[in-house]
Amino acid sequence: MHEMSIATALVKQVLDLAKENALVRIERVELEVGALQLVVPEALDMAFKAASHDTPASGAVLHQEVIPVRARCRACGQDYVPDMDTSYQCDRCGVAEPEILAGRDIILRSLSGPGEDEGGSGEDQGG
Amino acid sequence: MKIKVVENVLKENVRSAREIRARLDEAGVLALNLTSAPGSGKTTLLEATMKALGPEKRAVVLVGDLQTTRDAERLAGGAAEVIQINTGRGCHLSAAQVAEGLDGLTLENVTYLFIENVGNMVCPAGFDLGEHARVVLLSVPEGDDKVAKYPTLFQPADVILLTKIDLLGVLDFDVNRVREDLDRINTRAPLLHLSARTGDGMDGWLEWLGM
Repeated sequence: MHEMSIATALVKQVLDLAKENALVRIERVELEVGALQLVVPEALDMAFKAASHDTPASGAVLHQEVIPVRARCRACGQDYVPDMDTSYQCDRCGVAEPEILAGRDIILRSLSGPGEDEGGSGEDQGG
Repeated sequence: MKIKVVENVLKENVRSAREIRARLDEAGVLALNLTSAPGSGKTTLLEATMKALGPEKRAVVLVGDLQTTRDAERLAGGAAEVIQINTGRGCHLSAAQVAEGLDGLTLENVTYLFIENVGNMVCPAGFDLGEHARVVLLSVPEGDDKVAKYPTLFQPADVILLTKIDLLGVLDFDVNRVREDLDRINTRAPLLHLSARTGDGMDGWLEWLGM
């Protein structure tokens, strides 16, 4: 359940950004989740709900997009997409010594919600 | 209003890990992050390693568990300093916890920092603790299928220790199966066989440590 540590960090980050950008409430959060983080989407959803409870991010929709693993072979330099569940062997030389290029990070891409100057008081903002 | 960003959610952990590594580099300390299932023999391995390091006590050990100070009590006396971190409900150590553990420690005359992670085969994998190398243990009683079952644990390992080899004759465990799985998952890390209980194979581990 490392989803809880991820959600706690995410909520803090989202609230900081909302404050910086004068959002009164957060309605949607878009996240890229590297496949190697082994995040269970439902668990992260639940953890996000718990961590955002009683904050301006409470009730926000968390949109998760999984970023597949991409690797570069340390032996022959080939870029390839390993099947992270069964094999990390390079599809050119067969060696399993990947440098991981993508699929390890969790990246916050966007947050949206009504801003102070939009009269955001908790009501629907339309567009 | 939509705010577009590209920000690493674990940036605090990344930053903290980078700071730890820089501090250890400056002090000339080699940091190892030991991960495995609970009961693979991490603490027993560290007890034997401390013994081999001798009376100079050149190591600091940081142990993570949900509860109790039992591991720290077992290791006390062998190391220059033993720090127990209780994670409560947390299933892995974070770089911030390691930084806090190291806070205030003088690293003079310290050669090694052993970080014994919470026993867990999934959660610790994604969290850099500022270590220089990742040590993954697999004990004979766990069975020879674990590399295939938990590839994300074994893939980033810099060295893999097959522990409790004194039980190889007692249990059905096929070392070749582990090797075959590692051919697919990780051909970079050496697979060292050892028993911290009998001392068999400890020399290979100590040699890997550069002792």
